[in-house]
Amino acid sequence: MQTIRKHLRYVSFFMALVMAFGSVWASSAAAGMVGTGELLTEQRADLDRQSLMNMLERDEVKERLAQMGVSQDQVEKRIQSLTPAELSSFEQQLAEAPVGEDVVGIIVLFLLVFVVTDMLCATNIYPFINCIR
Amino acid sequence: MTITTISSKSQLLRIVVSMVLATILAGCASRPQWPEQDSLDTAANIEQRLVLDDVPFYAQERYQCGPASLAMMLNSQGLDTHPEVLKELVYLPERHGSLKVELVAAARAHGLLVYPLDGSLDSLLTEVAGGNPVLVMQNLRFGWWPQWHFAVVMGFDAENRNIILHTDTRDYHEETVEVFTATWDRAENWAAVMLPPDRLPATAEPLRYLMSANDLETTGRTLAAMTAYQTAEQAWPEQPAAIMGQGNIAWEQGQPGVATRHYLRLTRKFPGVAAGWNNLAHSLAAQGCATAAETATHCAAAINPERFDGTAPEIPSTDAKDTCPALQCPALSD
Repeated sequence: MQTIRKHLRYVSFFMALVMAFGSVWASSAAAGMVGTGELLTEQRADLDRQSLMNMLERDEVKERLAQMGVSQDQVEKRIQSLTPAELSSFEQQLAEAPVGEDVVGIIVLFLLVFVVTDMLCATNIYPFINCIR
Repeated sequence: MTITTISSKSQLLRIVVSMVLATILAGCASRPQWPEQDSLDTAANIEQRLVLDDVPFYAQERYQCGPASLAMMLNSQGLDTHPEVLKELVYLPERHGSLKVELVAAARAHGLLVYPLDGSLDSLLTEVAGGNPVLVMQNLRFGWWPQWHFAVVMGFDAENRNIILHTDTRDYHEETVEVFTATWDRAENWAAVMLPPDRLPATAEPLRYLMSANDLETTGRTLAAMTAYQTAEQAWPEQPAAIMGQGNIAWEQGQPGVATRHYLRLTRKFPGVAAGWNNLAHSLAAQGCATAAETATHCAAAINPERFDGTAPEIPSTDAKDTCPALQCPALSD
């Protein structure tokens, strides 16, 4: 351990170099052929995003969001910036809901988790959530 | 550094809220419903009782449900293999079992397309009604003390609410849907069909199917992947990835001319897909078509500037061997 500490400066220099090369390589690789998988991931995300948007059009969802004081505009904007992983986790939750389950509840709760927590940041209601804006 | 700690706090809140959510939702699990007859879209043969008789049965030896189930799945699709042979591929002696991923990989290695179902009972029965045996994973004990098991669902009896399986040492074993779904739920409702790539699963969805086809492509089953993409293109002409997959495979095989033909088809039909223009630029460049490649590059960048920076690929030789196409890019014309 002590030996590593002594050479920490060199180790970190080396790591920095590795990181730099890594990012250079990654950016040049991005210009090559696009794999079929990338297109599929992109399309999946678009589809999930669209279906979430469609759910936002339901009256019960609109009402519940309005009760929470969240405007549809804000939610739509937030949905546009959700990552493919976040979107697919929502689809998963929806798919796992038992038949006859209150789907509106799931939609609103998801929006609560991914959208409203972000907006708490904007309004800074809770002091323990610190956000950079 | 500060950035990560700050964002992790809001992350923490997310986790807490989703855990509360999960607890609330988990309390509502209900008795399994036998799917409505008309929700099984099998038009002609909605029978009360349906058994796929062409699924061969292999009794498992101790702990070897994996190889036995896989053999049933493969041989039902016309392959000729045996649990003893598959044991070498998928059985881990020190774990007394097989892993799900290995069964899937082994099926792919035999040139079959593995299509994971969406986990609903409805889909499971629709596949069986469509003539496809389904490989399922079960947990025969409890969540905290699991005993994993693989079996093949090859029939059902709607009247008695029974699922019919080839499982362990019993063939045509009938299990009530309650017992079956309880054990299946504890294995996260994992189920998959394994089919030759020229056949569509009964519940096939375009993107899910194309992802399965892509799994064949990325694991080097090129011919099977090609067939799967062609099958997908026929079934869903509105899916760009089905055409792009065929182009990408031709490119991988060192046939830029063939790849160009696919990418041209793709960009004519789906001019808004930036990736199609990008790949077209590369295959055109490889053929020596400098002007066309440049147009395609700019087109990709015009559609999606964040992903494509508009740098044209290098042209290996200046004289075009083949005739170069004239490209029409809608994104550049307006």
